[in-house]
Amino acid sequence: MTVVIGFEGSANKIGIGIIRDGEVLSNPRRTYITPPGQGFMPSDTARHHRAVILTVLKEALEQAGLKPADIDCVAYTKGPGMGAPLVTVALVARTVAQLWGKPLLGVNHCIGHIEMGRLITQANNPTVLYVSGGNTQVIAYSERRYRIFGETIDIAVGNCLDRFARVIKISNDPSPGYNIEQMAKKGSQYVELPYTVKGMDVSFSGILSYIEEVAHKMLSSGQCAAEDLCFSLQETLFSMLVEITERAMAHCGSQEVLIVGGVGCNLRLQEMMGVMCKERGAKLFATDERFCIDNGAMIAQAGWEMFRSGQVTELEDSWITQRYRTDEVEVTWRD
Amino acid sequence: MAAVEAETNHERGKLGFSLDVPFPSSLEASIALRSLSPDKEPRRGGISKQLSVSGSTLSVRWSADEARILRVSVNSFLVHLSLVIETMDMFGPAVSQ
Repeated sequence: MTVVIGFEGSANKIGIGIIRDGEVLSNPRRTYITPPGQGFMPSDTARHHRAVILTVLKEALEQAGLKPADIDCVAYTKGPGMGAPLVTVALVARTVAQLWGKPLLGVNHCIGHIEMGRLITQANNPTVLYVSGGNTQVIAYSERRYRIFGETIDIAVGNCLDRFARVIKISNDPSPGYNIEQMAKKGSQYVELPYTVKGMDVSFSGILSYIEEVAHKMLSSGQCAAEDLCFSLQETLFSMLVEITERAMAHCGSQEVLIVGGVGCNLRLQEMMGVMCKERGAKLFATDERFCIDNGAMIAQAGWEMFRSGQVTELEDSWITQRYRTDEVEVTWRD
Repeated sequence: MAAVEAETNHERGKLGFSLDVPFPSSLEASIALRSLSPDKEPRRGGISKQLSVSGSTLSVRWSADEARILRVSVNSFLVHLSLVIETMDMFGPAVSQ
């Protein structure tokens, strides 16, 4: 049996999870929630993580019913993400690894999402759509790499949603995306927005600028309701994502789609992807907010795979990195 | 030769700052050193930082172009140090290896 503890804190969530051979023993998490209209800044987010990380670590051990001696490896997020929060989490991971005499393992955050999605859904070799506040990529596995077939050329889809939420002061609790999703259900009028798929890639910054420009005018003149804007934005963004995912599937001859990342728990996105999959006779895999949204168990799971294939990270090589592409990692645990 | 020259330039006209942190034992001081060392100062930041352990004391020596940059670096180091010490208090002592 191999037990891995995973530390995640690359954005506004801090999570610590423990995995024993595919079984999630504990996965506590805290979210730094800012007032409506405000995003989360690196130094404030790091302060939030510092204030709660040791409590979360205690919870993770208690809920799993384990002692430090039962753990085989300490995994943490090496990147990508915001620098200050990443350092906070890495400091604690390095310190406990030394106190407990356990090997350390730096994990790519994106790989964490993919491996957690594969574990939970049992999807074997899916085309992966990874959508969150910081990342938007269509990924497929080939020859020991998770290869990026398409991605955003500017901001992430979740960042587009988050920043739209700030414009019309939608609450960030529990997340801006969740609240947009609920409001979109009450939308009836479709407002046409730019649609920007460029080959295999997508662009969201122009859509954001456009909706930022027109939102207040349309709302104050009564041309449409906030719910209509939420609905229209979701339909436009998600159509683009489904389009590039379908093209990647056709290219790879893939019959499976796995959606991971925080935006992946949006049920409307899952529904639209499901329609496309049904038309192609393909299967859709998705998870709920426990595992889609950043969490510690996903880092533990990727760490488990890496550790079992013989990888460890020496302390002097354990620096964090804000940029760390999914395809930089050699996948030593898959054929 | 180049290294010596660089070293000399490094000290001349620069702000210096030293910090000594006592730990209960050399083991704790070494753990703190290895936890705090991996993340380097930003390149081209006009600042350098050297960490070392002697006995049970962790020593840090800064050299910087500007007070403003020095303050940011020292401040963030102290914040990181506090977190490492807090972690040791809650999840230590270190197991014998």
